Amino acid sequence: MYNRINYRAVFEKTGSAKYISHLDLNRCMQRAIRRADLPAWYTEGFHPHMYLMFSLALSLGAESMCETMDFRLTESIPPQEVMERLNAALPEGLKVHAVVFPKYAAADIGSAVYRVELESSDVQALAAEWDNFAAQPEILMEKKTKRGMKEINIAPMITVLSAEQTEGIFRIFLRLPAGNEANLNVSIVTDAFKKYAEQPFSIVKAIREKIFCLNGEEFS
Amino acid sequence: MLRKKVESVIMEVQKPARYMGGEVGSIVKNKENVDVRFAFCFPDIYDVGMSHLGMKILYSLINERENYWCERVFAPWTDFEEVMRREEIPLYGLESFDPIRDFDFIGFTLQYEMSYTNILNMLDLAGVPIFARDRGESLVPIVCAGGPCACNPEPLADFFDLFILGEGEEVNLELMDLYKEMKDKGASRSEFLRAAAQIEGIYVPSLYDIAYHEDGTIASVTPRDNAPTVVKKRVMTDMDKSYYPDNCVVPFTEIVHERVSVEVLRGCIRGCRFCQAGFLYRPFREKSTETICKQAKALCDNSGYDEMSLSSLSTSDHSDIVHMLDELLKYTADRRINMSLPSLRIDNFSEDVLERVTAVRKSGLTFAPEAGTQRLRDVINKNVTEDEVMRTCAIAFAGGYTNVKLYFMLGLPTETDEDIIGIADLAQKVVNLFYDTPNRAKGKVQVSISTATFVPKPFTPFEFEPQVDNEEILRRQNVLRNAITSNKIRASMHVSEVSRMEAVLARGDRRLCDVVYAAWKNGCKLDGWDEYFDGEKWLAAFEECGLTPQFYANRTRSYEEVMPWDHLDYLVSKKFLIRENQKAHQAQTTPSCREHCAGCGANSCLGGACF
Ligand code: SF4
Ligand code: SF4
Repeated sequence: MYNRINYRAVFEKTGSAKYISHLDLNRCMQRAIRRADLPAWYTEGFHPHMYLMFSLALSLGAESMCETMDFRLTESIPPQEVMERLNAALPEGLKVHAVVFPKYAAADIGSAVYRVELESSDVQALAAEWDNFAAQPEILMEKKTKRGMKEINIAPMITVLSAEQTEGIFRIFLRLPAGNEANLNVSIVTDAFKKYAEQPFSIVKAIREKIFCLNGEEFS
Repeated sequence: MLRKKVESVIMEVQKPARYMGGEVGSIVKNKENVDVRFAFCFPDIYDVGMSHLGMKILYSLINERENYWCERVFAPWTDFEEVMRREEIPLYGLESFDPIRDFDFIGFTLQYEMSYTNILNMLDLAGVPIFARDRGESLVPIVCAGGPCACNPEPLADFFDLFILGEGEEVNLELMDLYKEMKDKGASRSEFLRAAAQIEGIYVPSLYDIAYHEDGTIASVTPRDNAPTVVKKRVMTDMDKSYYPDNCVVPFTEIVHERVSVEVLRGCIRGCRFCQAGFLYRPFREKSTETICKQAKALCDNSGYDEMSLSSLSTSDHSDIVHMLDELLKYTADRRINMSLPSLRIDNFSEDVLERVTAVRKSGLTFAPEAGTQRLRDVINKNVTEDEVMRTCAIAFAGGYTNVKLYFMLGLPTETDEDIIGIADLAQKVVNLFYDTPNRAKGKVQVSISTATFVPKPFTPFEFEPQVDNEEILRRQNVLRNAITSNKIRASMHVSEVSRMEAVLARGDRRLCDVVYAAWKNGCKLDGWDEYFDGEKWLAAFEECGLTPQFYANRTRSYEEVMPWDHLDYLVSKKFLIRENQKAHQAQTTPSCREHCAGCGANSCLGGACF
């Protein structure tokens, strides 16, 4: 029997790494762990595979500063060292910010905070439109559910934390439900606003900044 | 900047990671410090090209030189091509996002004939004139190509400035060195090409005039400007000293082969008469076990892959195979690396080898008897007997295998219906053998037969042979279908214009350049993909150019005929090919090179006997 020590890596997925799909991320991380020569724990049975768990899926094309990956090692290695070895093996855009012993489970996740940056020729007009958009009691959008596509009202799910304008950029911080019970991708919100706004804009950034637990604590 | 432009539209397409670079192992240099830039173009999509071994070798080789920079370029899938054309995004290198039209070299690898229209499409996307004659006198870019199909590059001759014949490890760098020297001196394109033609292995098609007989066959090939009468391919004579990378680019997205490739040998000792690779890559040269283990370990450590393939034309012909596998297993087993041997041969597939390959993971077995009767196997010199097939399957079944895949060809020279029925008989015997195996695995046996239409290729003893036409292939397929009676046997076969186009392009002459161009103009691209190949468009292209595919594919060529590739020397003499062709028609076999040298001439590069 091998030892089995649980670790959690908190990492960013930015730049060209945002084009790595969820499935490919798994493979990519496995290879990084192998390159880092970390003693990974493998499942037992007929087709053993490296145990890897990503707490919250991120849609293709979105960036994040707070992705988490759970893995297991068969030897106890200081988290700081694990982080350094992983970072030496990871491609640009994937960078581990911390390696910790997991405190919360994926099921504890309740929400996530996003930073969205929009570029427009008239940021002021765009900001005004956003205020009206966000004040609506009902925003109907198609959303994929377990039982196929369904039209739902996303308005009550959006919490605007702040909105500001700087040199041609309109920056919004949003809190959206995340996790098993309710989940809303930030792309659905930007798509809804795209349909609503008359002022044309392009999305410069849509980045997940932090993940929170249902109890309000930051997920770690 | 191009990268920004691509980023703004890339989410519109499937698998954006194909087009964004940034993979582990990809090499980015500061272009200020680079003298010569090389765009290595694979004329198919990323998923296919990234699995290709030759590209991995040359990519690392060129990039080892500090002042040279090699980048990767692939054909876009149709969705991205549409976006590129709409947004006016020129074809770019995945490392720098710079348009490849500004590179010093645009180099294609010619792996299969059906990629030719992709080359034209890629040049067009790059904004580079498609015909070499339209590229003017400035040096940039030199459009070149190498790879197996460069052995008869005539159907592409008008599109390329030069071809690289044989193995590229040395000659690529020699070519780039010459280029740098002449660029510094301010040489013109034609000056450079004339000088390049003096390097062994470099073929500059524009320096050769072709004259034709009235019947369309070639009358003469005349070199100009001191170009050599015959251009000889390059060979790496010592595989242990030959460059091999210790790292590779590890893609984010899934590709065809998700693994490290360790090349164990080059060439093949067998000489199956239909097999172009078996003749093109002569002579047989192997790496020592020590070299193989060293290279395998470095590649796995650096890439993080958990699968390793021992690649070559016939890995089990390595003289030290069992010991080599044992040595490799010492490393792979506890690192959970799966070892695969994609080219196991049916006749020397020993229990020892089987045990070692399955030590980590078990997969299906594939064999290629190629022909259904002993007579026809003798004709094609596939030195495999039915007994050997049975013995190997017995070992496999006893070892727990239940799936066997058998590959055959239809339309081989001298083939009769008896030979075709022999395919079904052989498959049936394999089925019966399974049920006669006492300690077989539980469950049903599945024998899959896959048949391909025979395509005669240059530099093989069958280069003189006509290809059987499609109607007759259809009839022969029906003969086979009717001969199969067991539901444990599954046969997959289909007829298409693809095999004929392959036969045309493989043995075509320079006049076909216009056909390839017309086909591309008619919309042909991604011809290697069933869903895109359009035989009608190709036929229309022939008509436009006043040529027929029959002339190239379905005609018997005399031993005296000047072949479009006769001025290229792949070390295997035409005399030898004629001898082998005659023996084929008498159903006489030729022993393997290890048993007895058949005098093909390839040993000339070694300065002595091959073995
Ligand atoms: S064994 Fe025959 S078919 Fe296979 S590579 Fe060698 S010559 Fe070709
Ligand atoms: S020279 Fe002889 S041994 Fe060498 S490749 Fe040719 S036939 Fe084989």
